[in-house]
Formats: sequence, C-alpha cells, structure tokens
Amino acid sequence: MKTLLLGMGNPILSDDAVGLRLAADIGQRLAGFPDLTVQSDCSVGGLELLDVLSGYARVVVFDSIQTVGGLPGQWHGFDATALCDTMHLTNVHDANFATALELGRRLGMPLPEPSAIHIFGVEVTDTSTFSERMTPALEACFPALADAIFAETCRLMLGTLPGFPLQRASPP
Amino acid sequence: MSRTIKIDPITRLEGHGKIDIHLDDRGAVEDCFFQIPELRGFERFVVGRPIEELPRIVTRICGVCPASHHMASAKAVDGCFGGEVPPVAHKLREMYYQAHFIHSHIAHFYALAAPDFVCGPDADPAVRNILGVVAKVGLGIGGQVIKARALAQDMQRIIGGRSTHPVWCLPGGVSKGLSKAELAEIKPMVAELSKFTDFSLKLFKDVVLGNPAYVELILKGPYTLDVHNMGLVDTNNAPNFYDGQVRVVDFQGKEVCKYEAADYQKYVAEHVESWTYLKFPYLKQRGWKGFREGVDTSIYCATPLARLNVADRMATPRAQAAFEEMFRTLGGHPCKALLANHWARLVEMVQNAETLERFCADPEITSDKYRVVPERITGEGIGIVEAMRGTLTHHYSCDDKGICTSANLIVGTTNNNAPIQMVTKKVAQSLIKPGKEPDQGILNMVEMAFRAFDPCYSCATHSLPGQMPMEIQIWQGGEVRRRFAR
Repeated sequence: MKTLLLGMGNPILSDDAVGLRLAADIGQRLAGFPDLTVQSDCSVGGLELLDVLSGYARVVVFDSIQTVGGLPGQWHGFDATALCDTMHLTNVHDANFATALELGRRLGMPLPEPSAIHIFGVEVTDTSTFSERMTPALEACFPALADAIFAETCRLMLGTLPGFPLQRASPP
Repeated sequence: MSRTIKIDPITRLEGHGKIDIHLDDRGAVEDCFFQIPELRGFERFVVGRPIEELPRIVTRICGVCPASHHMASAKAVDGCFGGEVPPVAHKLREMYYQAHFIHSHIAHFYALAAPDFVCGPDADPAVRNILGVVAKVGLGIGGQVIKARALAQDMQRIIGGRSTHPVWCLPGGVSKGLSKAELAEIKPMVAELSKFTDFSLKLFKDVVLGNPAYVELILKGPYTLDVHNMGLVDTNNAPNFYDGQVRVVDFQGKEVCKYEAADYQKYVAEHVESWTYLKFPYLKQRGWKGFREGVDTSIYCATPLARLNVADRMATPRAQAAFEEMFRTLGGHPCKALLANHWARLVEMVQNAETLERFCADPEITSDKYRVVPERITGEGIGIVEAMRGTLTHHYSCDDKGICTSANLIVGTTNNNAPIQMVTKKVAQSLIKPGKEPDQGILNMVEMAFRAFDPCYSCATHSLPGQMPMEIQIWQGGEVRRRFAR
C-alpha cells in the first residue's frame, strides 16, 4: 500500500515542531519500508494538501494538538473521519481539511479514504513563541514519545491495528 | 443589563481571533472588540543570526504568504549589502511573485469570499463553503479552481525551486535563473492562468453583480469607511506589488503622501491599546486621533481595494479595462465600499497574469546575470512589497560582520487593524438592534466585514481537530442566556 508519512508544523515555533521531529525520527527508523514516502516538513493546509495527499492509499500524519486539559506529551490517535471540521490546520488560508478532502473526492482526485488518513496529535503548550527548541516538558519526554508513537505506527503499518480507534496515552 | 456576544474562534480566518460584541441594557451594540494573540519574539529571534539567513527564516513566519515575507526580506537584506541587484534578478523575483499573488487570490475568492455571495450570507454554515459554491456553479468550475491554483504553485516551483517556503532569494539576486526550457514550460501555464483570471472576473460579474441584493449590500450596506488608502505604485501611479513608492490617498481621491521605502518611519507609526497585542499603524504626521473616520483621520486601509484606490491606472491593458468597469459600476474612483475588495482581487489577478505574459516575452528573462555577489556591508536595509493583504515592511540592521542587530516588521494585516475594528463595530451596530436576537446570518455578516480584508494572523499556529470553529455566547445578568456553536 503506497503510504505517506507526513510531519506538519513549524520548525521555529516552539512546540509546533513536534510533528516535524516525529516524522523525521520515525521516517528514519522506517527507512526501507516498501512503498513508503516520508515528507517530514509540511507546512501547507487546505486545498494545497490535496496535492500532497494525492496518489497515496494511506497517510500517517504527525502533528501538534491542543485540547482542554491536555498535558504536554500526551498523544491522540484518530483518523480523518473524526475531522468533521478543523479550525486552522497549519497554514490553511482557504478551505479546512475536511472540506478540501471532500472537494478533492468529488473532483475525482486519487485521495486516500478518510479512514486511511491516520493522525497522531501530540499535546503541546506553546505554539506562539519563536524558538528552535520545544518547551522543556516536551523536549524531556520526546525520546519516549517518539518510541511510543513509532511502535503504534509500526502496528498500523503492519496492519495489526484494526480500525485504528481513538487512543489517548499519558505523557511518557 | 448589559450583555456580551462572543465570537471565538472566527471561521475561515487564519490564526486565532475573537470578536466581543457588547450590548447595552436595551440590546443595542455598545462596543465591539476584535482581538487576536500575537506571535512572540520574532524580531528578537533573528537578532544574532547572519543577516543573509533572514529571507530563508522569515518564510516560516507565515505559511499563507511566505513569498511576501521572502521578497520583502530579500530587499531589506539587499540594502544591508549595498543594494546592488541585477535587473533580471528583480524581474525573476517579480515574476515569481505574480504567480504567488494569483495562487493566494484564487484561494481567497473561491474558498473564503465566494461562499458569502454564491451561497448567500445567511446560508446554513454547513453549506456556506467551497463545496456549496461548487454545488451551485458546477463541479467543472471546482476542477478549474483546483487546476489554476496548482498551476500558479507549480510556476513558483519552476521559477524559484519551491512553491512554499522559498529559499531562492539571496543578497544581490537569486540562486537560480530561468532556463529556456523552463520558460517554454511556463508559457502555456501563463496562458491558462490568463484565461482563468478572465473567467473569474466574469463569474463575479454574473453571480454577484447579477444579483441586485448583493450590489445593494456592496454599495449601500454598512461595509464602508471614510479612511485613507495605502499601496505601492510605479512611476505612472499604477499598482506594483513588488516595488515602487508607497502612496496614500484619502477617500475623496486626494493624495496625502507618497514616499520611498527608506522613509517609512517618517510616515507610519504604531499605536498601542491595552486590550490587544496587535498594534494599530497610523499616519505619523497626522498623529493618532483614535478610531475615527473622516478626511482628517490618520487611519488607512492597505488592501486590494486600497491599492486600486491609490492607483491612477492599472499597469496592463486588460486590467485597465477591468479597473475602469469596476469603478464605473461602483460609482467612481476611489471607492470606500469594502466588500469591493473581493472584486479588486480579481482585477489584480488580471494584472498579475498580464505581467507574467510580459515577462515571458522578455528576452532578458533567461539571462544568466541573475546575481551580483555583494562585496560590502552597509548595515541597514528596508524592503517593502505588497503582500496580498496589505503593505509589508521589513527593516533590518546588521553589524560590520553581517550579523543581525535589529529587525522591525509591519505586516500586511497589521496595517488594517484599526479599520477592521471600526467596520466590525459599524456592521454590528447596523445589524444587531434592540429586540432582535442575532442569528447565524447576522453574525456571518459581521464576519464578512473583516473577511473583506482577508486578514491573516496565522504565522503557522494551528491545532487539531477543532470541532467548534465558531462559538457565540449571549450574556445577560452574568449568565449565558444563549449559545450558538458551529
């Protein structure tokens, strides 16, 4: 199955880099996996994502997330069927993620099914301060976080994660 | 008992933002505040870095208009190294930038503006989006939009190596030229984009101008402001997005000032309010006079419409015809009907496409003299371009080793902070009346006020998944009486 590993975020905006770092780390560990493409630095959204996703049967996205009560380093696993609406997925200046996907589908573009777009969202605290380092709490737990998400990605890639249900893990 | 209506976050607007509408005891709008958080510390972040790195770093400020920051930064860095740039490098940068403009304007018009007019301002939010537009105008048009946007992106990649986060501009020019093979690849793309810009203009005329209610809304609705206009112009006072002088014209058409980039600090200052992080630029020589309209105000708009308002003419023939038709329809030049910004974007796109045609026919465009390696450090540079959503200024200084010692940025949307505040309040006061509870349609029409500016506060902040892009709370007596969510 042609698969894309996609890191999303901004490398100079503190915790916003976590998705990029995860994609680079996990992509390196999965080097040689058949039919796998790694794009560790993606900063586009909306309609532009159609170009990025087009042609793949499966996409694994690493991104940051902020939810009420979330702790830095917690992570969530879900697929794009859960994205009824996105607020502002990275650089979306146009349609939101779900709308763009639906438009692409109606236009007949070769896009993965929403259930085949798997997203790992890591809870972050600061995405508004310019820095090349993440906040100390996230930096401290990153190695263990990467191990945990790598393990889940492997299970997903090997097809041993039926349905990829919503996961919520504690900070490593 | 006073109440507060809270809109947070705002749909189809990049970055966080909220509108608080305060109602008095009778239910009339007492005040309105548009607040956004500001990204912290960029100007400090770049201090201590080699100044030539800045054009590559600033593209990460914002993923919506990275090319605008790249161009303004490159021009500022050119200044720090003496300012010598070969003509073909300027032409290539400008060529790249035209494609970037088209790409951005397509996204704004079809994904953000068109839903309000094609689906209707009071349509169900679930269908008031590009899918709703496509459902009304046809799937074929949706395909054309996606294709044209991709063409504009691909053109940037061919010219500058990357379409997003370019690293192409260097002090003294660009890192690669345009080969004859690449030019041959681009030419049919330009021809297709030209057709698409003409098509978009026709679509606007058919759908928006063909509906008397929309024309009434544009011309006679509350979406007007008596403030000044700002934009870059060339020596003929035609719009130029990459270079030129900054011209300011009042709402009656009288020139207020015209200045070179190097003099921007004599003409623009920034006012601070305690309730928002974002500053309020104003015309310095008039002094801060508050959020006031009128010929004596110091507030200005820097938008596509403002750019056409400060222009005496367009730089290219088809755009000139579109410019004349637009202002004839709007009742004269300049125009203060802010919803006409959507039309102005389409007129600008025509000039962008024609400028691309001009560059494609320029025999110098494939020259290999696209960079002069700087040999001296002069220590200070100011670069101004028109970002899609307003005049963008980068001002840097560096020491004698070329290490950045200071940076100051005035970004496109910041210019419009004050007028956005003012028109949002004006529209809210016009639509929300005592005894009439605001509904989704009314609140969307409040959003339309600032959406006309295509404001962008993103700079790549984001979060997933966001189930509630809009929340409105109506407070009375310290309790939430009504809650809207979508």
